[in-house]
Amino acid sequence: MIIAAWICLVTPLAAALLLTLLGNSASRRAAGYIATTAVFGSFIAAVVVFAKLWSEAPADRSHASTAWEWLTAGSFHVGLRILVDPLSVFMMLVVSGIGFLIVAYSIGYMDGENEERRYFAYMALFVFSMLLLVQAGNLVILLAGWGLVGLSSYLLIGFWHDRPPAVAAAKKAFIMNAIGDATMALAFFLLIQDGQSLNFPDMFAVGPGHGWLVNLVALGLLGGAVAKSAQIPLQTWLPDAMEGPTPVSALIHAATMVTAGVYLIVRTHAVFEQAPRVLELAAGLGAATLLMAALIALVQTDIKKVIAYSTMSQIGYMFVAAGLGAYGNAMFHLMTHAFFKALLFLAAGLVIHALAGEQDIRKMGGVGRVMPFTRTAFLIGSLALVGVPPFAGFFSKDEIIAAALSRGWYGDILFAVALIGAFLTGVYAFRLYLIVFPGKPSPFVEEHVHEHSHEGPFSMTSTVAVLTVLSVIGGLIQFEPLWGPVSSWLDPVAPPLAVPSSTQDALASLFAVLLGLAGIGVAWMIYGAKRWHVPTLAFSRRLLEHKFYFDEAYNFAFYRPAVALAKGLDRWFEKPVIGGSIKEIASGFREAGLDTSRIQTGLVRTYALVIAASLAVITIVFVAVR
Amino acid sequence: MGNVVVWIVWIVAAFSCLASGVAVISFTNPFFSALALIGNLASLAVLYLLLSAEFVAAGQVLVYAGAVMVMFLFVTAYLGGRADAPWAGGPTWQQFGAVLAAGAILVEVIVVIGLKAGGRLSHEAKIDSGFGSPRRIGEVFLTDHLLAFEITSIVLLVAAVGAVILGAHSRRRPDTIGEQIHEGEVHARP
Amino acid sequence: MQGPDIAWYLAVAAFLFATGALGVLLRRSPLIVLLSLEIMLNGGNLALIAFSRLHGESSGQIFALAVMAVAAAEVVVGLGLIVAIAQRKLDLDVDKLSFLRG
Repeated sequence: MIIAAWICLVTPLAAALLLTLLGNSASRRAAGYIATTAVFGSFIAAVVVFAKLWSEAPADRSHASTAWEWLTAGSFHVGLRILVDPLSVFMMLVVSGIGFLIVAYSIGYMDGENEERRYFAYMALFVFSMLLLVQAGNLVILLAGWGLVGLSSYLLIGFWHDRPPAVAAAKKAFIMNAIGDATMALAFFLLIQDGQSLNFPDMFAVGPGHGWLVNLVALGLLGGAVAKSAQIPLQTWLPDAMEGPTPVSALIHAATMVTAGVYLIVRTHAVFEQAPRVLELAAGLGAATLLMAALIALVQTDIKKVIAYSTMSQIGYMFVAAGLGAYGNAMFHLMTHAFFKALLFLAAGLVIHALAGEQDIRKMGGVGRVMPFTRTAFLIGSLALVGVPPFAGFFSKDEIIAAALSRGWYGDILFAVALIGAFLTGVYAFRLYLIVFPGKPSPFVEEHVHEHSHEGPFSMTSTVAVLTVLSVIGGLIQFEPLWGPVSSWLDPVAPPLAVPSSTQDALASLFAVLLGLAGIGVAWMIYGAKRWHVPTLAFSRRLLEHKFYFDEAYNFAFYRPAVALAKGLDRWFEKPVIGGSIKEIASGFREAGLDTSRIQTGLVRTYALVIAASLAVITIVFVAVR
Repeated sequence: MGNVVVWIVWIVAAFSCLASGVAVISFTNPFFSALALIGNLASLAVLYLLLSAEFVAAGQVLVYAGAVMVMFLFVTAYLGGRADAPWAGGPTWQQFGAVLAAGAILVEVIVVIGLKAGGRLSHEAKIDSGFGSPRRIGEVFLTDHLLAFEITSIVLLVAAVGAVILGAHSRRRPDTIGEQIHEGEVHARP
Repeated sequence: MQGPDIAWYLAVAAFLFATGALGVLLRRSPLIVLLSLEIMLNGGNLALIAFSRLHGESSGQIFALAVMAVAAAEVVVGLGLIVAIAQRKLDLDVDKLSFLRG
């Protein structure tokens, strides 16, 4: 089983290396197949590990394997260590499974791209990095995986590197992630200094006198999670990251990388549980993000940006769950969200692909008439997102809302926010669907797509079909409180703090579904039947369109001072002092060389005179010394 | 009696040596300078004989005066013996410095001879009659100083090759730098 | 030994050397410079022979012969250079032949 786990981890890396070494000698198609096969192999290995683990008793389900001792300093040991336990296997399955589907989809989507091989190499690298992150057996390896996924994200967002907006978005993502990396590293340093082992699962039993320490550590970890998962205040990079190709948005910025923050909190829950204020902060940030993102999604006009803000919002739900201690629920929502969010992105990708790269929904309309399969897929994805039974989102989202209900007055606030979020989700999701799909095809659409033309290559449509099926049945795997295999699978690793009662479950589900349907109804009235008009509240509209002015605030607070400082330094220090001194040294040498060369007059007699004079002097010296 | 003769021969030879040396550097006409040098070499040969170096003296006359100087005279004749004023040209500081340097060297050597090595220079070693003979020279050349012998032959070979090359080039491309200088394209800096 | 001491021979040799040096430094025609160089070499030879006589060693004479051979070789090459220069119609003036300058 351990071997299977290693195979799962290493296969995508091998594919990435192979693709890098093959370079241009592999055909573009072959590159796609290599990457897809590798990720599929990884998935199979993950399944094998899962089967083996399942056959064991719950108490035994934790195996670690260290490849070699990497760092030893006194009593501090860090090794290249992977951990196979229910949580990591869960994530392995999600990452490799969804990864496989999306990489297969990319074969069709990226067909004909000039640098297709580079894309697949990066995708394989990303899958490896994410697997490293989830399989990490200690915090250092986790940080390595963390950094690598950040790198892969940067490389893939900026894939079309001759487009300045893409490059800028990649930089923004990387820098904001780096802030999170820094806080995490500081947390690790504190832990190391305290003498804690960084290995999972020998976890962090910090003594009672160390309250401030564990709070700081938890804050550091939370900082990293917030950066990676694009929650307030480090959320501005995610919408910009849509500059990357659509499969990238699906895999990295919906299904897997952005959920790494949630995984981190669940994995290190022992630390967080000793810092309950920080947990509450996490839940609060999640709730705030949930609301804000849903509001912004109401006014977005780019199809991918709507889905991106939806992702941000749904991860807010996961943060609420993790912050409340409902770890199993958070992970379950992570899984179902991966299904339907990937589905939405890939279906959107089908539309974009058919419309030759257009992403502005104002130009689209009536796409459903000419692309019925895509319309169905998107509809199912949207229903799953809103949480309409029996689709996937219903089962997972409602549990979170129920968990909120079970946790006192703070939980009640979160409960209310989550319900408002459910309503807004209905509105924005179906706003998107109703603008793009039903009705008569718009002129732009007619120009590009013909009826009965096939909607996309097989690689694209088949993977979307698989995801559609998963979005339909994927939620059925757990239906609290009737049956809960996911929770029982994960509970030994992360015992939940919030277990709602059946009444709370029922209440939560009822309200959530009702509000969701109400949201759909509102959207229908405005965009479907066109009976109501969008309320024109100029101020709030501006606020939403500027994404609550976060970008402007950061620009003012951080970017401008940094640029001013850099310019000042350049003008007052770099050019005169450093550049000037180098120039001085160089010209000084030149001057010396020119002066010295004047000795070479070319006149033989002068030279001979110098020799004779030297001879005379030396003779005296010799005689005197003797 | 023999000592007096030796002294007289020595004085004459030394004097002509020095005089011809001065003459070499004083004459305007290189032809006369070359002839003066021949005189110098001949007086040196006499001095060598006084020092019991017969073979070297013979070699001096045959090789140096006979071959080398003849070659000199040939070249001088070929070049036309251009006249050139002895003390002309060059900055005065150079001439002054030259005299000073040469004078300094001379004075130093004399002083050294006079002061330092005075005692030791009086006791000449006893030599046998074979000293300086061709036989003795031959023996030493081919036993103790074989390497010098061989290397000398290589040096001569190299010189011969060099001379041939220099001669060959001069026939193939006659007017290159010279023409360019005369036409003012390349300037010679004084 | 009859006649003057070795010291006198050495004095003559020193004079010759100085004379030759003066000639090298003061004359402008390369031919004369070569001749002066010969004088210097001969001065050295004389010193060698004198010392050889002083110590009774033949090595000095051997060295003197080697010097003679080298001087011959040097004269050959020098004269070849001078002839080459003359062929190119350049002035045979050491001061004017200063192309190898920095």
